[in-house]
Amino acid sequence: MKFLLFTLLSTLVVVFLNSVAPYWVVMIAVTVLAALIRPSNWGGFLGGGLGMGVAWLGQTLYISAITSSTLPDKMGTIMGLGSGLSLMVLTAVLGFILGGCSGLLGVIFRNLVQKKPTDVYLG
Amino acid sequence: MKYLSFISTLVVTCALGVLVALPFGQIPPIAPLLDPNHGFWQNAFSEDQLAEESIDLENLNAPVEVVYDEQLIPHIYAENELDLYRAQGYITAKHRLWQMEFQTRAAAGRLAELVGPMALELDRMTRRKGLAYGAELGIAYLEKEDPATLALVEAYSDGVNQYINQLTDARLPVEYKILNYKPEAWSAYKSLLLLKYMSDMLVGDRDLEYSNLKKILGKANLDRLYPDFPRDNDPVIEKERVWDFQSLYPAKPDSLTYPEETLQLEALAQPTEGTGSNNWAVSGKKTKNGHPILANDPHLSLNLPSLWYSMQLSTPQHTVKGATLPGALGVISGFNEHIAWGVTNATKDTRDWYKITFQDASRKAYKYGEEWKNSEFRIEEIKVKGEAAFLDTVVYTHYGPVVYDKSFKSDRQDVNFALRWIVHQGTSNEQKTFLQMNKATNHAGYTEALKDYAAPAQNFVFASKTGDIAMRIQGKFPLKWKEQGKFFMDGADPRMEWQGYIPFEHNANSLNPERGFVSSANQHPVDSTYPYYTFDHSFEHYRNRRLNSKLTAMDQITVEDMKALQYDSYNLQAAESLPVLLNLLAGYGASSQEAQKYLADLKGWDYFADPAKKGQTLYSIWFAETAESVWRELMDQGAPVVRPNNYQTIALMRDTPEDAVFDVHMAAGIQTAQYHVQVGFDSLLVAMKKWEAEEGDYGWADYKKTTIQHLVPTFKAFSVPDVYTGGGAGILNATGGRHGASWRMVVEMGPTIKAFGIYPGGQSGNPGSKFYDNFIPIWAKGDYVDFGLKKKEEQKGVLFKTILN
Repeated sequence: MKFLLFTLLSTLVVVFLNSVAPYWVVMIAVTVLAALIRPSNWGGFLGGGLGMGVAWLGQTLYISAITSSTLPDKMGTIMGLGSGLSLMVLTAVLGFILGGCSGLLGVIFRNLVQKKPTDVYLG
Repeated sequence: MKYLSFISTLVVTCALGVLVALPFGQIPPIAPLLDPNHGFWQNAFSEDQLAEESIDLENLNAPVEVVYDEQLIPHIYAENELDLYRAQGYITAKHRLWQMEFQTRAAAGRLAELVGPMALELDRMTRRKGLAYGAELGIAYLEKEDPATLALVEAYSDGVNQYINQLTDARLPVEYKILNYKPEAWSAYKSLLLLKYMSDMLVGDRDLEYSNLKKILGKANLDRLYPDFPRDNDPVIEKERVWDFQSLYPAKPDSLTYPEETLQLEALAQPTEGTGSNNWAVSGKKTKNGHPILANDPHLSLNLPSLWYSMQLSTPQHTVKGATLPGALGVISGFNEHIAWGVTNATKDTRDWYKITFQDASRKAYKYGEEWKNSEFRIEEIKVKGEAAFLDTVVYTHYGPVVYDKSFKSDRQDVNFALRWIVHQGTSNEQKTFLQMNKATNHAGYTEALKDYAAPAQNFVFASKTGDIAMRIQGKFPLKWKEQGKFFMDGADPRMEWQGYIPFEHNANSLNPERGFVSSANQHPVDSTYPYYTFDHSFEHYRNRRLNSKLTAMDQITVEDMKALQYDSYNLQAAESLPVLLNLLAGYGASSQEAQKYLADLKGWDYFADPAKKGQTLYSIWFAETAESVWRELMDQGAPVVRPNNYQTIALMRDTPEDAVFDVHMAAGIQTAQYHVQVGFDSLLVAMKKWEAEEGDYGWADYKKTTIQHLVPTFKAFSVPDVYTGGGAGILNATGGRHGASWRMVVEMGPTIKAFGIYPGGQSGNPGSKFYDNFIPIWAKGDYVDFGLKKKEEQKGVLFKTILN
């Protein structure tokens, strides 16, 4: 549940925050979000990764669709990757790694500062 | 444990975040580049998708309206000139910022700063030629003598800078993202530097080569093989023109001595062959509608983003439209409501070299007559990417900078040559010329505007609504005695100095000549009756004669006829020389099947260099190989020299095929022109065998492979290769492999002006935009887009509008 919520929220954070802020601000935001929601370690990594990776992939798809520009292909050629499609994949993978590490960091940080719940009423 | 995993994750994440923001060698920082919101993906949008209704532009006196037509040509409507040029700077930067900056960096000798040590030698050469020095003097001149023009140049600069300051990462041109740098502030100085850079692109000299030729061939042979005037001279200013002024032609001093050594210097880069232009105007008496028609097509390197950017610039007092140079104010080749004008390069040897004799190794003084004159030192600090800055000391004499010395491009320690060039004088004001020309309303206004124009010398063609047509060869031309500056001169001899300048009134010009047209195609400016010394190595011999014979024959001329003439692909050189080649070939090689196939192609060819024509391909190789064979021994003398031009080579082969120049000393027996034609034919067979095996079809367009190349040649994907179009060097449609018609314009000066223009590129400088190269297919077919003047209220064909306020 927390994983899904975290994934969804980090996607939204990337989509909205990244339009005005550079990628590293987005990384910090995903870290904070992970610390607040506190999914599992894997959930943090995967959720942050998917959030940023999917958002970036979606944006590249959206831009390619509405512009029909040949630029991605041209850039792919210049960078020696062949086509725009490979750049799209590269962008998504980069987003995934950056988001994933940020998510994991947030979770680990939260686990670090969160005291063990010793006085919880367990029913 | 928890701490350890936290710290390691923190370190890994931070390191990752930093690493992706760092460049590795030539690879730019990956995250800022790929970030879909700020990186290159954002450059995929075309301008119409990013249209803004209003933009803040400070320092305006009144709002400025910018209306883009469907080709993304901006029409700027301002209330006054300061606002107009501020807006021109802003709008030009919006579409062409990277190119403006890159070109001025090249002009300033600052490319190594961007690309590293590979550009260091080029930067040193640029600095040693003194372009930046000239631009600095130009600014000082404007400050003192022409603050009104300077204010406009400053306004333009402010417009550019406001754009740079508003620029977001997303909108940063993609070249900055790939090369990983940011634009720096624009300045009035850079605008002037750009105009100096045009001189560098268009002006050459062959003093070095001619000095060596004189030594190798002897003066008599030099004059025979490299005559000052060709037999069929068809000059810019009609031969009938009578020179009714008192010439200031100086007499040649007696017993001059020239530096005698054979020179092993590395020659300066020359304007590439094929750099040239056509322009003409026909008077109303030769046109169908009775109105003058003007045409202009400058031939330059075919690059993307294009050198040209089209615009309409309007105030309540004037409206002008045409091709602008991003970085310079106003329109360079265009028309307004009253007049039209255009430019072609007026080559004339305006760069000269003086041998400098320094007093001692300190180079603080040099010999001049009986005295020692003090020199000055200018330290050029060239920043180099990834390395320490390079300091180059350039010695300045009163002639100009010592380009060649012990540290640069010379094999000898004692060789010092200073360059004398009009570009180093601060007293020219080309920017003012264009600003005035934009507003001129008649022939007097056009002439007045040209008074401030010094370099690069241009043939300014003119036509007006009132029916006048004119041509003026304008530049600041040094007053020289016969053959002065044809060879390297001795700077210690004051008699070698330029003798002043040809007065403005004496510059060759023509107004409403009897023949009903004026024209220029980089040929000899005048015939031998013009009472001043006129020399250049690179005069054109074919385009001019084709153009003039067509214009003479034509009548009832329409705009369509003039468009067709700009696209004319008749190869006059081939028409004059192919029969000579075929005749000299006799039956040679006819037994081979291949040879017969090619000979059939050649014999069946109509001399038009259309894209599918095979004869043009075969002829171009055959002639090139033949000429190469004829002059091989001359070129192999071990010193830089230059070949006689094609016109002279053909004349020799046709008129005196047994001339001694054809004899090859290394070969047994005596060779004649026939020998070289046959050698050339053998080479053709070899070349074609290879071509057909590797490439297949040898139609002209497939062979010449016209490429419109991005300014960074390694960005191949941003270039447009293999454009299917005809033409070639020496042909009116001068489109070769890398050079050609960089801008075509035809204007009919009737009550309603009809205008058409095109260039091989697009209005956008962004390789991701659909407006980046959309003109190229239109240009390749010889078609045009409508270039008529537009009123502010006109709604038809509007792409979008933006208010600057």
